[in-house]
Amino acid sequence: MSRAPRRQGAHTPTVLIVGNPNVGKSVLFHRLTGRYVTVSNYPGTTVEIERGTMRHKGHRYTVVDAPGLYSLMPITEEERVARRMLFHEPPDLVLHVVDAKNLSRSLSLTLQLVEAGLEVVLVLNMMDELERAGLQIDTERLAQQLGIPVVPTVCVSGEGIEALKELIHERLSAPTYLSARD
Amino acid sequence: MSVSPPPLTYPPAIESAIGQIASLLRGEYALGERTLALLLLQEDAEIWELVQQQESPHTLQRIRAIVQSLQSQLEQPLDWAIEQQRQQLSQQISQQVMQISKPTRPNTLAEWVGWLCMNPWTGFPILALVLYFGLYQFVGVFGAGTVVGWIEEDLFGAIINPAVESFVRGVIPWAPLQELLVGEYGVWTLGMTYAIALILPIVTFFFLVFAIMEDTGYLPRLAMLIDRAFKALGLNGRAVIPIVLGFGCDTMATVVTRVLETPRERILTTFLLTLTIPCSAQLGVVMALLAQYPYGLLLWAGVLVSVFLVAGWIAARVLPGTPMPFYMELPPMRLPSLSNVLLKTFARLHWYFLEVLPLFLLASVLIWIGQLTGLFELALRAIAPITALLGLPEQASVAFLFGFFRRDYGAAGLYDLQQEGVLTGNQVLVTAVVLTLFVPCVAQFLVSIKERGWKTALAMFGIALSVAVLVGFSVGRILQVLGVNLG
Repeated sequence: MSRAPRRQGAHTPTVLIVGNPNVGKSVLFHRLTGRYVTVSNYPGTTVEIERGTMRHKGHRYTVVDAPGLYSLMPITEEERVARRMLFHEPPDLVLHVVDAKNLSRSLSLTLQLVEAGLEVVLVLNMMDELERAGLQIDTERLAQQLGIPVVPTVCVSGEGIEALKELIHERLSAPTYLSARD
Repeated sequence: MSVSPPPLTYPPAIESAIGQIASLLRGEYALGERTLALLLLQEDAEIWELVQQQESPHTLQRIRAIVQSLQSQLEQPLDWAIEQQRQQLSQQISQQVMQISKPTRPNTLAEWVGWLCMNPWTGFPILALVLYFGLYQFVGVFGAGTVVGWIEEDLFGAIINPAVESFVRGVIPWAPLQELLVGEYGVWTLGMTYAIALILPIVTFFFLVFAIMEDTGYLPRLAMLIDRAFKALGLNGRAVIPIVLGFGCDTMATVVTRVLETPRERILTTFLLTLTIPCSAQLGVVMALLAQYPYGLLLWAGVLVSVFLVAGWIAARVLPGTPMPFYMELPPMRLPSLSNVLLKTFARLHWYFLEVLPLFLLASVLIWIGQLTGLFELALRAIAPITALLGLPEQASVAFLFGFFRRDYGAAGLYDLQQEGVLTGNQVLVTAVVLTLFVPCVAQFLVSIKERGWKTALAMFGIALSVAVLVGFSVGRILQVLGVNLG
């Protein structure tokens, strides 16, 4: 079995935002893209997809907000669409946004995304609520355990967004990215 | 950078099956081979289709054999075994990285309130309070009574409609066209007035209550509370959303059945909405009719609850398919933000108007055609035997027919009959039961056709009609046999 080659070259790198509903996905999407946004239906469905452009240090990245997803075994139509977006046209980078308070319940999907061979970044959102609940997360250790980058954010206030943009930029613009991919 | 090896390993039997499938696959796929193999093992239809396009029949046969042999080896279902492994690792990782920075208070007030809402012993009394104050007092008495009184009678009835009417009659000379626009059932006098003066205020108040229920976190807890009861009806807690909405407007609720996961659940819920859930307009009618007979009101509620349970129970067993499991996130209980509640209410109203207003206008046109062509006369003659069977006077037919197009008109007709002493207490109860069980209104019927298709909608119409007549008839007879007289 071989992997289908990903589109490269003139194509702007694509970042797909996935996660459960109500974890701040769309807030993150708007934080990353600002006002360059288009809305369209996913082909053949009534599920709406938002697509925007993120600009960082003179580079452009396409950011797409996937519908709510709980697992790679979909139940609802929205989940099916989100999965198709992951599988049929794999994005260059997947941001898995989770509610930091519900880390243990959310990690199952992170593990599935990593398992699928996708390039995943875990975004721990609602860190402020986590702290208010009297909890802390050792993000470095979590990153080690999962083998992927982990970025803590508070999307509603914008905390951590610059760090995330920088990480996306690092991941997708570095020359090693295009050559080192298998 | 290279992707790190998956930290997740499954029990040996599953791993070996994954390995075997991965070595068989020859096609080009955009997703990783482990995931592909796992989804094939879990018999995911979409992924099977994908693989069928690229692999030889022989390979497919061998994969099927691997799946079957794995299933026979495992004690638990495969989905469950796989998910359990993921949950375990997730929990293990999160335990390692999460620390408590300060002791949390175990029982905040909000947590207590949330728990009380879900516990059956306290949850149902709380639900009764919410229904009484939120729905009955606020939406019913204040919204549908007081505010509708101001807007419909004082504003539209006394000021706007006479002005529009005299304007139209002055400009358009042709009488039938005048009728279409400003007649008793005209596009303006019935359609627009009904939508703006009657329905708009009621649903506004209702959506306000609904948004508060949502934003306080009460609605998901209600779904949990009701989930078990709904299981017996082939539904799960998620169906609480359209059912509760149905008390505001069955038409809107029928549209909202889209939130349900399977076509089966959508059909079941639409059926229950059509048959049993009284919308705010129907509630208003019934309250007015039965106000004098408190026992009648109780009997009416009892009959409806019984029909709801029995019809749901039977429908769940007749319709093929299995109930879906229910997952819902429980957000914390909290005070809602006013701006968010208002914004939600406004967004729903906006959407409601776009979807439902055209149907009210269409209803006016249908009545106009019905009267112009004499179809209504025919329909009245068709209903007459049913009315007689129910032991009701002839005039009730008119109320039934027009009530389907315009609830309040039907109600007003019945109210007059009751005042004139034509209807006895028992007959009022029978009328109320039949009116509620029958299809709520023409708009709801049209939306059912749009959402569920012609066949299903017509079948529901037929069943609702039969059940309404049958139950109405039985209630009348039982009261008679028992010698009960409501006065």
